[in-house]
Amino acid sequence: MAEFTLDCLGEACPVPLMKTEKKMSELAVGDVLIVSIDHSCAMKNIPEWARKQGYNVEIEEVDDGEWEVVIEKTK
Amino acid sequence: MRAVKEFFDKLAKNETYVKIFKTPFTYLTGAILLSIFQVVTFGVTGEPWGVSGTFANWGAWLYRLVGGNVDRWYYFSSAGAQAVLDRGFFNDPGTMRNLGIIFGALAATLLASQFKIKKIKSKKQVVAAILGGFIMGYGARLAYGCNIGALYSAIASLSLSGWVFALFLFIGAFFGSKLLSKFFM
Repeated sequence: MAEFTLDCLGEACPVPLMKTEKKMSELAVGDVLIVSIDHSCAMKNIPEWARKQGYNVEIEEVDDGEWEVVIEKTK
Repeated sequence: MRAVKEFFDKLAKNETYVKIFKTPFTYLTGAILLSIFQVVTFGVTGEPWGVSGTFANWGAWLYRLVGGNVDRWYYFSSAGAQAVLDRGFFNDPGTMRNLGIIFGALAATLLASQFKIKKIKSKKQVVAAILGGFIMGYGARLAYGCNIGALYSAIASLSLSGWVFALFLFIGAFFGSKLLSKFFM
Protein backbone atom coordinates (compact mmCIF):
# COMPACT_ATOMS: atom_id res chain seq x y z
CA MET A 1 0.00 0.00 0.00
CA ALA A 2 2.87 2.34 -0.75
CA GLU A 3 2.39 5.81 -2.24
CA PHE A 4 4.52 7.05 -5.12
CA THR A 5 4.74 10.40 -6.89
CA LEU A 6 5.60 11.24 -10.46
CA ASP A 7 6.49 14.82 -11.39
CA CYS A 8 5.41 15.53 -14.95
CA LEU A 9 5.12 19.31 -14.56
CA GLY A 10 6.41 21.05 -17.67
CA GLU A 11 6.12 17.92 -19.80
CA ALA A 12 3.99 17.93 -22.93
CA CYS A 13 1.90 15.09 -24.28
CA PRO A 14 2.39 12.24 -24.71
CA VAL A 15 5.37 12.15 -22.31
CA PRO A 16 3.27 12.24 -19.07
CA LEU A 17 1.19 9.28 -20.26
CA MET A 18 4.27 7.30 -21.32
CA LYS A 19 5.97 7.96 -17.98
CA THR A 20 2.80 7.01 -16.09
CA GLU A 21 2.47 3.72 -17.99
CA LYS A 22 6.09 2.86 -17.21
CA LYS A 23 5.84 3.79 -13.54
CA MET A 24 2.56 1.92 -13.05
CA SER A 25 4.13 -1.28 -14.39
CA GLU A 26 6.72 -1.06 -11.60
CA LEU A 27 4.11 -0.70 -8.84
CA ALA A 28 2.63 -3.55 -6.80
CA VAL A 29 -1.09 -4.19 -6.52
CA GLY A 30 -2.60 -1.84 -3.93
CA ASP A 31 0.01 0.88 -4.48
CA VAL A 32 -1.02 4.43 -5.32
CA LEU A 33 0.64 6.74 -7.82
CA ILE A 34 0.16 10.52 -7.78
CA VAL A 35 1.03 12.11 -11.12
CA SER A 36 1.52 15.91 -11.19
CA ILE A 37 0.66 17.43 -14.57
CA ASP A 38 0.18 20.90 -16.05
CA HIS A 39 -0.68 19.89 -19.61
CA SER A 40 -4.45 19.75 -19.93
CA CYS A 41 -4.50 16.91 -22.49
CA ALA A 42 -2.72 14.68 -19.98
CA MET A 43 -5.75 15.21 -17.77
CA LYS A 44 -7.74 13.41 -20.46
CA ASN A 45 -5.40 10.70 -21.73
CA ILE A 46 -3.90 9.53 -18.41
CA PRO A 47 -7.26 8.85 -16.67
CA GLU A 48 -8.60 7.35 -19.91
CA TRP A 49 -5.71 4.90 -20.09
CA ALA A 50 -5.82 4.07 -16.38
CA ARG A 51 -9.59 3.44 -16.39
CA LYS A 52 -9.14 1.15 -19.39
CA GLN A 53 -6.67 -0.84 -17.27
CA GLY A 54 -9.36 -1.08 -14.61
CA TYR A 55 -7.53 1.11 -12.06
CA ASN A 56 -9.24 3.58 -9.75
CA VAL A 57 -8.63 7.15 -10.86
CA GLU A 58 -9.22 10.54 -9.27
CA ILE A 59 -8.32 13.97 -10.61
CA GLU A 60 -7.66 16.91 -8.34
CA GLU A 61 -7.22 20.48 -9.52
CA VAL A 62 -4.46 21.73 -7.23
CA ASP A 63 -3.90 25.14 -8.86
CA ASP A 64 -4.69 27.10 -12.04
CA GLY A 65 -3.67 24.75 -14.82
CA GLU A 66 -2.18 22.20 -12.46
CA TRP A 67 -3.59 18.80 -11.60
CA GLU A 68 -2.82 15.68 -9.65
CA VAL A 69 -4.02 12.39 -11.06
CA VAL A 70 -4.30 9.78 -8.35
CA ILE A 71 -4.19 6.21 -9.64
CA GLU A 72 -4.67 3.13 -7.51
CA LYS A 73 -3.29 -0.08 -8.95
CA THR A 74 -6.19 -2.39 -8.24
CA LYS A 75 -4.96 -5.48 -10.05
CA MET B 1 -13.70 42.61 -3.04
CA ARG B 2 -15.44 40.02 -0.91
CA ALA B 3 -18.48 40.04 -3.14
CA VAL B 4 -16.26 39.54 -6.18
CA LYS B 5 -14.55 36.58 -4.57
CA GLU B 6 -17.88 35.08 -3.58
CA PHE B 7 -19.16 35.54 -7.12
CA PHE B 8 -16.21 33.69 -8.63
CA ASP B 9 -16.29 30.94 -5.99
CA LYS B 10 -19.94 30.39 -6.88
CA LEU B 11 -19.22 30.52 -10.60
CA ALA B 12 -16.48 27.90 -10.26
CA LYS B 13 -19.09 25.48 -8.94
CA ASN B 14 -21.79 26.40 -11.46
CA GLU B 15 -22.74 23.34 -13.48
CA THR B 16 -23.17 25.12 -16.82
CA TYR B 17 -19.88 27.00 -16.44
CA VAL B 18 -18.01 23.80 -15.61
CA LYS B 19 -19.61 21.96 -18.51
CA ILE B 20 -18.92 24.61 -21.17
CA PHE B 21 -15.65 26.24 -20.10
CA LYS B 22 -13.89 23.83 -17.78
CA THR B 23 -14.42 20.25 -18.91
CA PRO B 24 -12.83 19.40 -22.26
CA PHE B 25 -15.30 18.79 -25.07
CA THR B 26 -15.62 15.19 -26.22
CA TYR B 27 -13.89 14.23 -29.46
CA LEU B 28 -17.32 14.00 -31.11
CA THR B 29 -18.31 17.54 -30.10
CA GLY B 30 -14.94 18.80 -31.31
CA ALA B 31 -15.32 17.01 -34.64
CA ILE B 32 -18.78 18.45 -35.23
CA LEU B 33 -17.65 22.00 -34.36
CA LEU B 34 -14.60 21.67 -36.64
CA SER B 35 -16.82 20.46 -39.48
CA ILE B 36 -19.17 23.39 -39.11
CA PHE B 37 -16.40 25.99 -38.89
CA GLN B 38 -14.44 24.61 -41.84
CA VAL B 39 -17.59 24.97 -43.97
CA VAL B 40 -18.00 28.54 -42.65
CA THR B 41 -14.38 29.46 -43.38
CA PHE B 42 -14.63 27.93 -46.86
CA GLY B 43 -17.82 29.88 -47.55
CA VAL B 44 -16.53 33.18 -46.20
CA THR B 45 -12.95 33.20 -47.51
CA GLY B 46 -13.36 31.03 -50.62
CA GLU B 47 -10.42 28.83 -49.66
CA PRO B 48 -10.23 25.63 -47.60
CA TRP B 49 -8.93 25.82 -44.05
CA GLY B 50 -5.14 25.84 -43.75
CA VAL B 51 -2.72 26.90 -41.04
CA SER B 52 0.96 26.48 -41.85
CA GLY B 53 0.99 28.24 -45.24
CA THR B 54 0.07 31.45 -43.46
CA PHE B 55 3.11 31.15 -41.19
CA ALA B 56 5.34 31.11 -44.27
CA ASN B 57 3.66 34.37 -45.34
CA TRP B 58 4.25 35.80 -41.86
CA GLY B 59 7.92 34.96 -42.36
CA ALA B 60 7.92 36.72 -45.73
CA TRP B 61 6.28 39.83 -44.25
CA LEU B 62 8.78 39.88 -41.40
CA TYR B 63 11.61 39.56 -43.91
CA ARG B 64 10.14 42.46 -45.93
CA LEU B 65 9.89 44.50 -42.75
CA VAL B 66 13.65 44.33 -42.27
CA GLY B 67 14.29 45.21 -45.91
CA GLY B 68 14.38 41.71 -47.41
CA ASN B 69 12.76 40.66 -50.67
CA VAL B 70 11.23 37.26 -51.42
CA ASP B 71 9.94 38.05 -54.93
CA ARG B 72 12.54 35.82 -56.54
CA TRP B 73 12.13 32.91 -54.13
CA TYR B 74 10.59 29.98 -55.94
CA TYR B 75 8.03 29.38 -53.20
CA PHE B 76 6.66 32.94 -53.42
CA SER B 77 7.18 33.43 -57.16
CA SER B 78 3.63 32.67 -58.34
CA ALA B 79 1.27 35.54 -59.10
CA GLY B 80 -1.15 34.22 -56.45
CA ALA B 81 1.49 34.17 -53.72
CA GLN B 82 2.66 37.65 -54.68
CA ALA B 83 -0.92 38.95 -54.59
CA VAL B 84 -1.39 37.57 -51.06
CA LEU B 85 1.85 39.18 -49.90
CA ASP B 86 0.96 42.50 -51.53
CA ARG B 87 -2.46 42.60 -49.88
CA GLY B 88 -0.64 42.60 -46.58
CA PHE B 89 -0.84 41.07 -43.12
CA PHE B 90 -4.20 42.50 -42.09
CA ASN B 91 -5.99 41.73 -45.38
CA ASP B 92 -5.23 38.03 -45.29
CA PRO B 93 -7.98 35.60 -44.19
CA GLY B 94 -5.34 33.04 -43.16
CA THR B 95 -3.75 35.58 -40.84
CA MET B 96 -7.08 36.35 -39.20
CA ARG B 97 -7.80 32.64 -38.78
CA ASN B 98 -4.42 31.91 -37.20
CA LEU B 99 -4.66 34.94 -34.90
CA GLY B 100 -8.13 33.66 -34.00
CA ILE B 101 -6.68 30.28 -33.05
CA ILE B 102 -3.94 31.84 -30.91
CA PHE B 103 -6.13 34.36 -29.09
CA GLY B 104 -9.03 31.90 -28.95
CA ALA B 105 -6.81 29.35 -27.22
CA LEU B 106 -5.67 32.02 -24.77
CA ALA B 107 -9.27 33.08 -24.10
CA ALA B 108 -10.33 29.45 -23.58
CA THR B 109 -7.59 28.73 -21.06
CA LEU B 110 -8.31 32.00 -19.20
CA LEU B 111 -12.05 31.28 -19.11
CA ALA B 112 -11.34 27.83 -17.72
CA SER B 113 -9.00 29.42 -15.15
CA GLN B 114 -6.23 27.11 -16.31
CA PHE B 115 -3.67 29.60 -17.57
CA LYS B 116 -0.17 28.82 -16.43
CA ILE B 117 3.29 29.76 -17.61
CA LYS B 118 5.09 26.46 -17.67
CA LYS B 119 8.69 26.14 -16.68
CA ILE B 120 11.18 24.65 -19.06
CA LYS B 121 12.31 21.41 -17.53
CA SER B 122 15.46 20.66 -19.46
CA LYS B 123 17.68 21.83 -22.32
CA LYS B 124 16.50 18.76 -24.19
CA GLN B 125 13.01 20.28 -24.37
CA VAL B 126 14.38 23.47 -25.93
CA VAL B 127 16.41 21.59 -28.51
CA ALA B 128 13.48 19.28 -29.32
CA ALA B 129 11.04 22.20 -29.64
CA ILE B 130 13.28 24.21 -31.98
CA LEU B 131 14.33 21.20 -34.03
CA GLY B 132 10.81 19.76 -34.12
CA GLY B 133 9.31 23.10 -35.11
CA PHE B 134 11.84 23.53 -37.89
CA ILE B 135 11.31 20.03 -39.29
CA MET B 136 7.50 20.36 -39.08
CA GLY B 137 7.47 23.76 -40.73
CA TYR B 138 9.91 22.77 -43.44
CA GLY B 139 8.10 19.49 -44.07
CA ALA B 140 4.73 21.21 -44.24
CA ARG B 141 6.01 23.57 -46.94
CA LEU B 142 7.49 20.68 -48.95
CA ALA B 143 4.15 18.86 -48.70
CA TYR B 144 2.22 22.05 -49.50
CA GLY B 145 0.27 21.78 -46.29
CA CYS B 146 0.21 20.52 -42.74
CA ASN B 147 -2.25 18.15 -41.09
CA ILE B 148 -4.93 20.81 -41.63
CA GLY B 149 -4.43 21.99 -45.22
CA ALA B 150 -3.00 18.80 -46.70
CA LEU B 151 -4.91 16.29 -44.57
CA TYR B 152 -8.13 17.66 -43.11
CA SER B 153 -9.11 20.03 -45.91
CA ALA B 154 -7.89 17.66 -48.63
CA ILE B 155 -9.99 14.78 -47.32
CA ALA B 156 -12.95 17.11 -46.83
CA SER B 157 -12.56 18.09 -50.51
CA LEU B 158 -12.60 14.40 -51.51
CA SER B 159 -8.98 14.61 -52.67
CA LEU B 160 -6.95 11.39 -52.75
CA SER B 161 -3.86 13.37 -51.73
CA GLY B 162 -5.27 13.73 -48.23
CA TRP B 163 -5.30 9.96 -47.74
CA VAL B 164 -1.74 9.64 -49.08
CA PHE B 165 -0.72 12.37 -46.61
CA ALA B 166 -2.50 10.45 -43.81
CA LEU B 167 -0.53 7.28 -44.54
CA PHE B 168 2.81 9.08 -44.32
CA LEU B 169 1.63 11.05 -41.30
CA PHE B 170 1.19 7.76 -39.44
CA ILE B 171 4.61 6.53 -40.55
CA GLY B 172 6.14 9.81 -39.37
CA ALA B 173 4.26 9.66 -36.07
CA PHE B 174 5.49 6.09 -35.52
CA PHE B 175 9.15 7.07 -35.88
CA GLY B 176 8.53 10.32 -34.00
CA SER B 177 7.17 8.46 -30.99
CA LYS B 178 10.17 6.10 -31.07
CA LEU B 179 12.49 9.13 -30.92
CA LEU B 180 10.36 10.63 -28.16
CA SER B 181 10.60 7.55 -25.95
CA LYS B 182 14.33 7.30 -26.67
CA PHE B 183 15.16 10.86 -25.66
CA PHE B 184 12.48 11.76 -23.10
CA MET B 185 11.86 8.65 -21.06
